[in-house]
Amino acid sequence: MGLLNFTRDPVPEAVSGDMHNLNQLSAQQFSALTEVLFRFLTEPKEVERFLTQLSDFATMNKISLGPLKNIVKSILLVPNGALKRNLSSEQVRADFIALGLSDEKASYFAEQWKVNSPTLTRLAVGQTLMINQLIDMEWKFGVTAGSSELEKVGSIFLQLKLVIKKGSQLENVYVELTLPQFYSFLHEMERVKTSLESFS
Amino acid sequence: MAALGAAEFAALQSLLKAPSKDAVRQLCQECFSSPPAALGPLAQRAGPGLAAGLEEAEQLVSALHNLTRHVVYRGLTGAEDILSLFPENFHQNLKNLLTKIILENISAWRNEAQASQISLPRLVDMDWRVDIKTSSDSIMRMAVPTCLLQLKIQEDAALCGNNPVVSALTMELSKETLDTMLEGLGRIRDQLSAVANK
Repeated sequence: MGLLNFTRDPVPEAVSGDMHNLNQLSAQQFSALTEVLFRFLTEPKEVERFLTQLSDFATMNKISLGPLKNIVKSILLVPNGALKRNLSSEQVRADFIALGLSDEKASYFAEQWKVNSPTLTRLAVGQTLMINQLIDMEWKFGVTAGSSELEKVGSIFLQLKLVIKKGSQLENVYVELTLPQFYSFLHEMERVKTSLESFS
Repeated sequence: MAALGAAEFAALQSLLKAPSKDAVRQLCQECFSSPPAALGPLAQRAGPGLAAGLEEAEQLVSALHNLTRHVVYRGLTGAEDILSLFPENFHQNLKNLLTKIILENISAWRNEAQASQISLPRLVDMDWRVDIKTSSDSIMRMAVPTCLLQLKIQEDAALCGNNPVVSALTMELSKETLDTMLEGLGRIRDQLSAVANK
């Protein structure tokens, strides 16, 4: 096996056997299985659903679930590596062929990869580490009518509640701003937006 | 906050023993700024300068504190309003001097009162930085801009006394989050202008 695009590590022994088994599936069966796989890849939290769909596929096509799961594990190695390394569909196709999958099936999978990769890339970026991510912002503003020191005040205050994700917990931060501070804050945030946009 | 009683105005007359007008001025400022709990020690310091015993000093300091705070509370700005607070038989020159001193300080005092108002923790400073994420364990090559925002927040001044606690909170915003935040801030600005134009 020549150099693969999706990984630099040696591929497990079982993979070529699994590819051989895959080649035995009809085009229709392969297409159905691919659909199940991509549905899982684009919604990685739906593990239950994925396992159910695999089990249904196994029953409908008279394949044992155990071997099917091993085949799926082997297949998934490629898209997972491809995502990390921003591979093109050409490279994905080449890798599957190098692993022993038929031309036809490799091309089909690569095509599906091309269609799904924007969604998958966005998901991977979304999983990238964020420090104290700002999740939500609530606000209210009002007028201070009076206080124990000043009978009549009439000044505007703005209160923000920021919801920050610290590790796995959410923390609420409450902040009060004066009006000039608010305008200054707004101005700065607009500058940030311009900066972010120039880098996108 | 009620106006002063007769006994308090009587206590103010101790100021006649002050060595200079500046001393009176100084004492007025200290009495206004001092919280009620700190009036005792202030009286102890002020007493000797006025040739007053402790009890007399305490009554004076308390009366002066109440007078200055009352003027600020009611938002009195005119000389007439302040002069009319004093009783008929109050020493004329002292009355004029006190009124003059109060008028000199009234807006600074008002600002001081507003600054020490109770509030949620206040924003004192804000800094930002834009980073470009180039690589992570989920994707080896990318170019994703992200914003780091640091807010310096000061706890309620009234709770911290002279040592306000300032904490720095650094948070990360994605472009989407920033857009949503700006939408919210824009809505606040629109509502503020609507209120201002009424």
